[in-house]
Amino acid sequence: MSVVELADVRKSYKLGDTVVEALRGVSVSIDKGEFLAIAGPSGSGKSTLLNMLGCIDVPSSGRVTIDGADVGGLSDRELTRYRRTKIGFIFQSFNLIPVLDVYENIEFPLLVKSKLTRKEREALVMRFIEEVGLDDRIKNKPNELSGGQRQRVAIARALVTRPLIVLADEPTANLDSGTGIRIVELMRSINESDKTTFIFSTHDAHIMREAKRVINVLDGKVVGYDGAEV
Amino acid sequence: MLVLRLALRTIMRRKGRMVLIGSLVAFGTFLSVFGTAFSSSAGEASRASIIDNFTGDLIVYSARSKELPSPFAFNTPLPNIRNADEVGRFLSASPEVLTWASFAQNYGLVQVERDGRKVDLPFIFYAVEPGPYRKVFPNVDVKDGSFFGIREDGALSPPGTGVTGDGSTGDRARGVMISAFQNGQYLRNYGVQLRVGERVTLLGITEGGANALPSRVTGIFEPKHYKSVFNYINFVDAATYSELYNYTGVTALPEALNAGLAAAQGGEDAIFGLADAGIGELDLGSLRSEALSGFTMIAVKLKDHATVDRFIAAIEATDGLEVKAARWDAASGFYASISKALQAFIWLATGLVFLVVALIFANTLIINVVERTAEIGTMRAIGSDKSFVRNMFLAETLILNLAAALVGMVAAGVVMAALSGGVPLPETISQFLIGGGRLPLRANAWHFVQTLVAVAVVSVLATLYPVRVATSITPLKAMSER
Repeated sequence: MSVVELADVRKSYKLGDTVVEALRGVSVSIDKGEFLAIAGPSGSGKSTLLNMLGCIDVPSSGRVTIDGADVGGLSDRELTRYRRTKIGFIFQSFNLIPVLDVYENIEFPLLVKSKLTRKEREALVMRFIEEVGLDDRIKNKPNELSGGQRQRVAIARALVTRPLIVLADEPTANLDSGTGIRIVELMRSINESDKTTFIFSTHDAHIMREAKRVINVLDGKVVGYDGAEV
Repeated sequence: MLVLRLALRTIMRRKGRMVLIGSLVAFGTFLSVFGTAFSSSAGEASRASIIDNFTGDLIVYSARSKELPSPFAFNTPLPNIRNADEVGRFLSASPEVLTWASFAQNYGLVQVERDGRKVDLPFIFYAVEPGPYRKVFPNVDVKDGSFFGIREDGALSPPGTGVTGDGSTGDRARGVMISAFQNGQYLRNYGVQLRVGERVTLLGITEGGANALPSRVTGIFEPKHYKSVFNYINFVDAATYSELYNYTGVTALPEALNAGLAAAQGGEDAIFGLADAGIGELDLGSLRSEALSGFTMIAVKLKDHATVDRFIAAIEATDGLEVKAARWDAASGFYASISKALQAFIWLATGLVFLVVALIFANTLIINVVERTAEIGTMRAIGSDKSFVRNMFLAETLILNLAAALVGMVAAGVVMAALSGGVPLPETISQFLIGGGRLPLRANAWHFVQTLVAVAVVSVLATLYPVRVATSITPLKAMSER
């Protein structure tokens, strides 16, 4: 059963007088529970594709369907609500809120228009803190954590709202290779235990091998799956 | 709560920058509270001082006048008040009136003999009913002699006729009161110093020519307030003034003469013909003289200053009085304007400080927004609405600025408490502003409240553009931030 479908999605934008075509007719279908990598070199369009999947950018043409709903015509407010309830984000630079500690960073998405009680929030936050192995770092601020620990916080923050899909934009790019592998292994174990759909972009072949499926993107087009040509 | 927590922690995280901004806001607040308290105190003290020393709440003057009354316009005297008696009766009968005094302003010469030669000393003066004037304006500090026989406690002369505040003539002693400063000027410029009791000749210019009147110096005085003006002004009692300037007449002419004049209808031959009819052979002994006032202004003090406009409307609308009236501020020449100009200056200075603070604050906020692009984009990506971002910045602004405003208000309160004995001012400024002395500082809650509101409003206004920039940050920025 597919949770995300892109049908002939195109995205172009102006860069000075030049029109750059970031995506040129991409059609993709992603099933629930997939652990999927979007691969490609820098400038290939994989980040733009991820943005479409995350409802943080809209296509110039084509259709993006998430959980059965076409998100193309949604307003900014509706897209925000959609992201809040359906999608979790993991960023390359971690993007933790610097003034909040580990617990508060993970709790943050639950506090934004959530109707959960304090106890319910606490239970959820503690569960994911334990899951990412940061029990002893609850009160630490992001600047007191290593890169790997920050990314673990970001993973817990992405998962705490129990989203339909988690999008990770080059989640290991700012980590050393060992830490990067451990982060991907963590994501994969959560994917296997919770059946949460993970979609991450990468150009690291080592990380790519961890994915169950790889979509190769080049020059704004999907050029193959798992290395096969389309 | 989340918004407040984020705002507080962001402020603490950016302490250096926030302390700078907070200091500016605190300074602006201090200036606003102290400035408005100073300004309103100066305005109130100036009003009270002007009313107490030279205008009363209002000045009544002739309806024929084309000029506003000004106590210092000696070169353009106002027309006499024709119906002074009736005006006096109106004022005496008005329950709103506390007290009043008639006066005129003019100039002339005081002639004295020294070593066998006559010396003419120029002098400008107020012609006053001594009793009522001193009761209305206790601005005279008698250094030698007396104020026309009127004691400092305002004890008045026996009742008589004429336009007075309380039915007394106040002419117990006739002559001139000379300002001590003026007397010093005489000594310096003419080598002559007047002495109390000294006989002098007063010279006045009238339409018919120069009049001379023997008189004497009744006293030497110093003004208590507004020395910059009253040092140059002397006093002449009303009776002397009337005599010097021919403000005298007869109470009634024979009926036959009046009837003849009416029948002549202004015709020259007919008027001269009256003499042939024997009307000119009058028994002068049967005529009784009367002193016409010659007063050009009547200063009126009201029981309640708030009724001034209503009272002015009433007196101007009363048939037969033929007078107009000017409020104290209109009648004070430029003195009320000085206070208003000072108030305007303080408001302008405060406004400019707030503008500068607002611009610096807005600029700093924009820098903050730019520095926090990834953070804002992240919040938007993980589900925060634009309103959340807007509220976060507003909360930061209001927390910082209101806290700084409190510091500024406390500082202003401490300084004002330390100056509870009055603000020392340079003598020249003090003389022009409040007639001299320290400015009593009167702060009230309103000065603090209006400043707090101003800080809040300016803070919100200064936040508008930075917030607009912040809310325009898309989640895409979080994804593209490396």
